[in-house]
Amino acid sequence: MSVILPYEMPPLATEAPLDIHRSNVLPEWVDWNGHMNVAFYVLAFDQASGAFMRNMGLGRHYVDGRHGMTFVLETHVTYDREMKDGAPMRFTTQLLDRDAKRVHLFHEMYHAEQGYLAATNETIVMNIDFASRRSAPWPKQAAERLERVWDAHQPLPRPAKAGRMMGLRKK
Amino acid sequence: MIEPSLGAPLDVHRATVLPEWIDWNGHMNVGFYVVAFDKATDTLCNQFGVSWEYTRDKIGMTFVIEAHVTYDREVKQGDPLRIATQILDHDAKRVHYIHMMYHATEGYLAATNELMLMNIDYASRRAAPWPEWAMARIEQMAAAHRSLPRPPQAGRLIGIKRK
Repeated sequence: MSVILPYEMPPLATEAPLDIHRSNVLPEWVDWNGHMNVAFYVLAFDQASGAFMRNMGLGRHYVDGRHGMTFVLETHVTYDREMKDGAPMRFTTQLLDRDAKRVHLFHEMYHAEQGYLAATNETIVMNIDFASRRSAPWPKQAAERLERVWDAHQPLPRPAKAGRMMGLRKK
Repeated sequence: MIEPSLGAPLDVHRATVLPEWIDWNGHMNVGFYVVAFDKATDTLCNQFGVSWEYTRDKIGMTFVIEAHVTYDREVKQGDPLRIATQILDHDAKRVHYIHMMYHATEGYLAATNELMLMNIDYASRRAAPWPEWAMARIEQMAAAHRSLPRPPQAGRLIGIKRK
């Protein structure tokens, strides 16, 4: 049984990939190596997941209204290039898979002015019932919106950095 | 430089979940699990003799090039954490390892973090072989960890598994 959300849904972005989230590297994200610390890439990517969820209709109202939450179950990051204090970031997000409770997302982080790829993040996010803190099906409106985004993202090729397994490749 | 700890796994890192690590879901945010894990990486690098002083003295740095996190259970503000570290593999420039984060008093597994760490030359900011003292310590610790079973969380592929 899926929840019907009582609040109004925002307009739905169906561009493929989703290309709406922007942010900047904050001074407190920089470590003793003089670049954005590995953990704050994950925090920045989590905010991009938040943007994807807002597009599903699952923003702050969803949690504040005690309807539900979304939890990340697993995440994989490739660190491709350094980002310095204040660097502007542009994120794109591709929906790779989904089911009744989960989405499998692939984010790319670019330097917004210089254009280079800084990092990628593949992640699984699960819908959670607020009261029980256990997994639950997507709310009705979110499930419908997810299917429209899924249809729009179907033509995209699978990113080369998706589905990576870590290891030292011996030559 | 400290004497490397040859216990298997390395089990010296302890921490506490800070108030600023909590998000609107009332638990440690996904990014701050990685903050906590990165501090355990500092502890590991200190064993190798390539931690803070290594960078302060402009000898070199260590960069994470890839990371995989499994979020297994929630932890709340003030929870005590115990992070154990197992070396899985290494070569002339890299170390492949996994951290296991446990709730220190309740004992449950909260998260895991598999990482690939690379040694970096300070001046060029490019990959470089481990300094001799670090390589010796990595070899010693890797030998001590060789008998450990490989954790099931290592080498995972991300995907929605269907029954």
